Amino acid sequence: MSSPSFFQRLLKMREGGEALTLASALTSILIFASILIFTIHEGSWMLLRPQYLLGARWQPEYNRYGLLLLLYGSIIVTAGALAISTPIGVASAIFISEVAPRWIREVMEAAVETLAAIPSIIYGFIAYFFLAPWIAAVFHLPLGRTALTASLILSIMTLPTIISISSEAISSVPMAYREASLALGADRWQTLWRVVLPAARLGIFASILLAFGRAIGETIAVLMASGCVAAIPNPPWNLLSPVYPMTAAIAIGMGEAEFRGLHYYALYTLALILLCISALVNNTARLLIRKAPRGEVRI
Amino acid sequence: MRGIERLTPYITSALALIPLAAIIALTSLITYHGLGALSWRFISSSILRGGVYEAVVGTLLLFSGATAIAAPLGVLAAVYLVEYAPRSWLTELVERAVENLAGVPSILYGLFGFTLFSKLLGFGISLLSGWLTLACMMLPIIVRSSQEALRMVPRSIREASLALGASKWTTITRCILPAAAPGIATGVILGVCRVAGETAAILLTSCFYTMRGLPRSPLDPVLSLTYYLYILIVAKAGDTPLEVIFAISLLLFLLVVALNSTALILRFRYRGVKRW
Repeated sequence: MSSPSFFQRLLKMREGGEALTLASALTSILIFASILIFTIHEGSWMLLRPQYLLGARWQPEYNRYGLLLLLYGSIIVTAGALAISTPIGVASAIFISEVAPRWIREVMEAAVETLAAIPSIIYGFIAYFFLAPWIAAVFHLPLGRTALTASLILSIMTLPTIISISSEAISSVPMAYREASLALGADRWQTLWRVVLPAARLGIFASILLAFGRAIGETIAVLMASGCVAAIPNPPWNLLSPVYPMTAAIAIGMGEAEFRGLHYYALYTLALILLCISALVNNTARLLIRKAPRGEVRI
Repeated sequence: MRGIERLTPYITSALALIPLAAIIALTSLITYHGLGALSWRFISSSILRGGVYEAVVGTLLLFSGATAIAAPLGVLAAVYLVEYAPRSWLTELVERAVENLAGVPSILYGLFGFTLFSKLLGFGISLLSGWLTLACMMLPIIVRSSQEALRMVPRSIREASLALGASKWTTITRCILPAAAPGIATGVILGVCRVAGETAAILLTSCFYTMRGLPRSPLDPVLSLTYYLYILIVAKAGDTPLEVIFAISLLLFLLVVALNSTALILRFRYRGVKRW
């Protein structure tokens, strides 16, 4: 066990520097633990009083907090986004790590990092002023702010995650796999299709999970693109109707909710669900990345 | 299967063009529509006279304060993880916490900051609450990139310094941190880039819809470019001239892209130049 050694070190700490840096390192634990504790504490109040939560309506003014509607909104928007961004992202990752010459690769990496750095309000702005009118015109809708609009803008926002993590996974497939396949007479694309991609599948799957985590936690862009109407579309898979994702409800509702009133607790319940989903997804993705084969092959 | 395999190169390359097309389309849309109204006068005149001066100053105040809190903490935490800590359960716990913090959605930071800083600690909707919330958000980015930068510093530098009789702390402050400085700076800039464009976290902790003028103390609310843009679009879409909205978007876009490009160039140069 290493725990005694830590306390021994603490006692023997002669330099102030070590104590200072240790205290800073502990801050991260403190912050994460407080986020966890606050969200669980405030979020479980209404979970323990489920009579508010199970209705079929989300109407804070009548104390109806049917949060399944909002969960549905988040999930349909996220699923739509991933359905678009997964093929594009994985193809781009293949292109970056296996096909493109060096200079194209560098241009694409810079483009991907810039996409990742653009703030979500800018994506929301694009969705609101350019994407939504276009969707409205194409599908003859009165208002263009729909689940599809939110999915489209989210798909661009999740591309950087899928591309960077997948291309890392593909590049770290051992060279020996490729050489063995090529030596057996397979061409470059057969090797890629039948050897490299299967070997990188854990990392690619992890990238999709991380993109899911990013998409379901995205707030401002989704708020501006999705229309924010708390209703299940008819039929439920109809992407052309407005939805109300959880994050948007938190951002809009918290400003007017009374501190520690019913609405506040309902929004914290949404936050707790969101925190559970994103922690689950992120930690699973990290485990997958650790399990993936990389570097030299041991024979 | 045969047919698909023959087409794969073309399909892959075509799909790979989409991210490039997206960034080009985004940049040109924002620039084309925003350039008309963006001017020095627009930036330097007050909101009451159709400018964005208070929002620009607010954004600068918010991210510089948050950086002043998060950068020292993050760098020192990375120094502990790389230089002092043995592989132990504690290091593992810190790294887990940092990784999980990096994955927490920004709206949850906003909610946490609202409950803890604004309400329970009584800082209210204020610049101070915003600083603390944004510092929490920046911390994981700074810790991770500083860790990476410190790990790149070769053993020989540490050994040379220790062999000359320098203490561990002297070695860290005089040799290791200077050698890792470009990498650490890259991380800090990326952190600034993230919080400068952040809306959800400050929406709940530091901004008021009716805020006018600059904050007079850290306990006053503040306006930021992101929040002002949000309000103009979501709450007052009808009665604001579109050029103003487009110009603010362009300004914010330029700020973030400039920060991000600085980080990319810094990293690119030092990755290429430094050979130990």
